[in-house]
Amino acid sequence: MAFPLPRGVTASEIAFLAEMETVTIVPRQRLDGLELLGGPVEPLLPPRRASLPLWLALLLKRQRRANIIPPTWLHPEPLALILEVESQHQDYKNAFSPPPPLPGQPSILDRDALPSARPQYTPDGNRYYAAPPFLPQNTAQTMASSRDPPSLPFHWVEVGNLLLDAASDDLVDPDQIRRLLKDLREVRMAKMRSGVDVLDAAATGGGGIALTGVGSMELGEERGFVTGVVDGLRRIGSSKEQARREQMAEQRANGGYDGTQEDDEEEDYMEF
Amino acid sequence: MDIDDILASVDRGPGASLESAALDHQLLTRFWVAERAVSEVLPWPAPLMERIMDRMRIQIETIEDLAASSDTTLPTTANTHNPNLNLRLSILQTDLARSQYIVRSLLRARLAKITKYSMHYLVLLASRNKNSLASQTQSTASSQNPNQQPEDSVPDISGLTDLAPLSEPESSFLHAHQTLLAGHYAGSFMGAFPRQLRRLDDNAGGTSMIQGPELREVVFVRCLGAEVPVVVGGEEEQYGTGVTMRMGDVWVVRWEGVKGAWGRGEVELL
Repeated sequence: MAFPLPRGVTASEIAFLAEMETVTIVPRQRLDGLELLGGPVEPLLPPRRASLPLWLALLLKRQRRANIIPPTWLHPEPLALILEVESQHQDYKNAFSPPPPLPGQPSILDRDALPSARPQYTPDGNRYYAAPPFLPQNTAQTMASSRDPPSLPFHWVEVGNLLLDAASDDLVDPDQIRRLLKDLREVRMAKMRSGVDVLDAAATGGGGIALTGVGSMELGEERGFVTGVVDGLRRIGSSKEQARREQMAEQRANGGYDGTQEDDEEEDYMEF
Repeated sequence: MDIDDILASVDRGPGASLESAALDHQLLTRFWVAERAVSEVLPWPAPLMERIMDRMRIQIETIEDLAASSDTTLPTTANTHNPNLNLRLSILQTDLARSQYIVRSLLRARLAKITKYSMHYLVLLASRNKNSLASQTQSTASSQNPNQQPEDSVPDISGLTDLAPLSEPESSFLHAHQTLLAGHYAGSFMGAFPRQLRRLDDNAGGTSMIQGPELREVVFVRCLGAEVPVVVGGEEEQYGTGVTMRMGDVWVVRWEGVKGAWGRGEVELL
């Protein structure tokens, strides 16, 4: 057996990915810049702040060579606010609170603005849009972007727990943060479970279920269940789908297919 | 800095600038997650993997040089000279080990899929590169062969140039693996079968014996483009579009519906 792990990244691999998130540190000692395979690391000059990948920040923290500045969202106040939105707000009864916007994506405050994705180009000439864990969603910002409401980044469970384990002395009121993270996790887990009803939508071709705002670890937990259920539903409905395909192919051959008639059946996805 | 460092920095060439190291690392990570998330083998990103492997080779040399320099100098002078040498070494080694882990996991995930669907990929490669007439005459000729063996149903892919989605070592592994497997089947049980039942790609009765990856399985994706519609029925036979994903959304959709958008880099697998 070349590879024993199931399809989809597992929990330990998700934690591995979360360790690529960038965090802000205050170094306690000098260190020259390094050229890592994951990109260059800026020179450390105390007391100037520096941005490092989380795994490196934790390595320095464990050796008492640096202090980690907690991410903007990992404070009691923003977490309490997010928890209130998740549990009380009418709009988010069945939905997760909105994630931090991607670069080029309009903020949640101005909904009418159109998104304009700004791609980078790879050395092979393909388009590349940056996404977590390679966005600065866990750095300690002091910029004007505080206009945006606080939001949970994609790797919030992992980053939160890693920092609580290794750097709890750098956090503001770690016990309170731990309690809030646990509450958030329970509220969101309940939402994930209540969304099981609409899984049928993903079993049809072209349909899907929106899970916007979900965290990486939450996704990993539900992956086995969701894919299992949807694949089971797909197998049950496969003969019906085959018949519909043949019918559509026939209609298209007669020139009567306008490509939209299927939409009404597949609109019942979770409203996120 | 000594002459080796200068030579090494020249050897890297123009394509290996620092930003491209970071970008390549992100591309590798994303490709690894994607490969782990879908049931079929994704197209091998040959240029990317070459750059990554080159960079790893250089990094290993750098680490060896650093380690050697710490050994040769006296411990006392080394400590005063560069107190951070051990720290630097451990950081570089951790970084290298993390990248090596991704590459190893990626390759093993691919090998697992290749061995699982070996006949499917062999037939896929062979059918694309040969004209169908030749393979048909070959198969009718071989079915009349009284000494029909399971090995005969393994297509020969030695002369092929277009190996997508596999890399060259993967395709030669695939052929060797399937030939060994067919030989083993022949020796253990298939040799006792009637000769018309000995083919591994038998499709008598309308049921193909070749199992391929299930493209209709659902995957978790994040939409990175402004708007990406989910295609109904896959890229080849588009029956129209289903729901539309907006930028930043996370969806559970069929892999066949977003495969094209993934190829254009507009969605990311999670």
